[in-house]
Amino acid sequence: MPIISLNAIDYAIIAGYILVMVLVGYSLKKYMKTGEDFFLSGRSLPGWITGLAFLSANLGALEIIGMVANSAKYGIATVHFYWVGAIPAMVFLGVFMMPFYYGSRVRTVPEYLKLRYNEATRGLNAVSFAIMTVLMSGISLYAMALLFKLMLGWPLTQSILVAAVVVLLYVFWGGLSSSIYNEVIQFFLIWLGLLPIVFLGLKQVGGFEGIVAQIKGPLLHSIKYLGTSNNPLGVDWFGVVMGLGFVLSFGYWTTDFLVVQRALASKNISAARMTPIIASFPKMLVPIIVVIPGLVALLVLPEFSQAALPKAEYNQALILLMKHYLPNGVLGLAITALLASFMSGMAGNVTAFNTIWTYDIYGTYIRRGRPDAHYLKVGKYTTIVGVAISIGTAYIVKSFPNIMDYMQLIFSFFNAPLFATFLLGMFWRGATAWGGFWGLLVGILTAAVHYILYKVGRIHYHSDMAANFYQAWWAWLADFVVTIGVSLFTAKRDPKELVGLVFGLTPKPKAHRRWYARPAIWGALAIAVAVALNLLFW
Amino acid sequence: MSDTNGTKGQETPDSGEGMSHGHVLDLKLPIGWLLSAYGVLLTVYGLLTKKEMYAISLGLNLNLVWGILMIFVGGGFLLAAFLKRRRTTG
Repeated sequence: MPIISLNAIDYAIIAGYILVMVLVGYSLKKYMKTGEDFFLSGRSLPGWITGLAFLSANLGALEIIGMVANSAKYGIATVHFYWVGAIPAMVFLGVFMMPFYYGSRVRTVPEYLKLRYNEATRGLNAVSFAIMTVLMSGISLYAMALLFKLMLGWPLTQSILVAAVVVLLYVFWGGLSSSIYNEVIQFFLIWLGLLPIVFLGLKQVGGFEGIVAQIKGPLLHSIKYLGTSNNPLGVDWFGVVMGLGFVLSFGYWTTDFLVVQRALASKNISAARMTPIIASFPKMLVPIIVVIPGLVALLVLPEFSQAALPKAEYNQALILLMKHYLPNGVLGLAITALLASFMSGMAGNVTAFNTIWTYDIYGTYIRRGRPDAHYLKVGKYTTIVGVAISIGTAYIVKSFPNIMDYMQLIFSFFNAPLFATFLLGMFWRGATAWGGFWGLLVGILTAAVHYILYKVGRIHYHSDMAANFYQAWWAWLADFVVTIGVSLFTAKRDPKELVGLVFGLTPKPKAHRRWYARPAIWGALAIAVAVALNLLFW
Repeated sequence: MSDTNGTKGQETPDSGEGMSHGHVLDLKLPIGWLLSAYGVLLTVYGLLTKKEMYAISLGLNLNLVWGILMIFVGGGFLLAAFLKRRRTTG
């Protein structure tokens, strides 16, 4: 028996969305003339579009459902994933790192590693990233199908195939532009689909004061109880600040090609630098649609009554709230928002995969130096392969029970050490080619070894989340130390080769004539607002 | 390029080569049409449905209220697209 029953109006809303996406993809087809059009939207998009896409690429349905669940489980501390775990990294990317990414005209993150370090470093990153994106795409697809089966009673295989075909069509036609446009549409659908739950929830429990009056202490504070790991998260301040806020967050936001690709699609360097900074403002507001529903769920849903043990999984909190508050009609809108964010998550992964595959693997190791038209064709057909592998992966990930933790796990294996490689590469001219490679490799291995030791019980933490945060920290530290160590004993790069790639060897980008268009000003404002929010919900 | 940049063309001294051909699709149009179509659909549905259906949304006719709101949001995008087009052609 499905949890939610839809009627004709809901299906009309879902069908309308799919129709618009396919039409947008089709209308972009005629602009896809070169590889750069297909893989980087011709570097032509304005900052507001790339900024919203940058945010939405991360605002997947799993993320939203998982964060509502975290909020029901851990309370207000969930805001750390936003105000500590995202804003500083996004601002850092825009203000300090984007000049090297965009300014060096690289097309992918691995390509930067090739220019700054060597071919081996690029290969390591390109291959691990390609595997990771396909895994993520499969996860997204399977999770979507599973959710729609439980929630609406849709058969698993049909959901997987329909979503895969729609994504395939619009990415095949429109490449990154399709992906980005879908993300922007998704951004508005998510807010419009979930805000009714926030309003009705707050109305029923008596506003935010009502929540404060009815929920017990530790769940209401973000920072106050972080002195020890004896708090709802089971993580102490060091784990939150260094593991999540520094390593995981910077590793994800500044080196994950899935998000960086959006900034690279900007029309000029100002727009590229503003992309993550524009994204940081709505990012700060996302807790409104995830944290408040999580807390409301504790108060209004009998399944999560605090008097007894929960009778449902926290991951169901958002779905149960939809059922609780939304009548058919707006309900269809909320379902469409989830569908959109699943499909755009998959599309984003597939586009990142075909770009990395075409430029960094196929164009580097398999067929070098072919004309651009050849790579455009390869990219288009890689889309089909990527979707096919995703479908296969969807059936593999069935065996993993907690998808959210699994995602964190993958991030911390690959992304966390990578941030040390980038940090040293962009800001220390002494980092050598082989220093970069060995640092990255040892970092990834450290994460893997830490994970094994934790799983076999040799290392203990208060929670799985604490294990993930600390794992990221140790992987980062290992990469950082090994990169420096190996660099001291290997051949330095000629500083002339590093112009445009390394801070201090690159002329500073001219400050914008008008102060209100300067990324640093907006970045500082974003940080100030994030600090204020942290203090407000201390 | 006219659609993506409008009047701010002179802001891009550092943009370099390779961006001569913008993607001409103005995203404000599909967003505007989709959201206002949803708005109209929800508003009409809200007017046609009975009060009992809205017991779960605390007695509020959510389809009507949210439909009207979405007509405004979607209309805003269409208006912005229309104004930009008029500014760049005229």
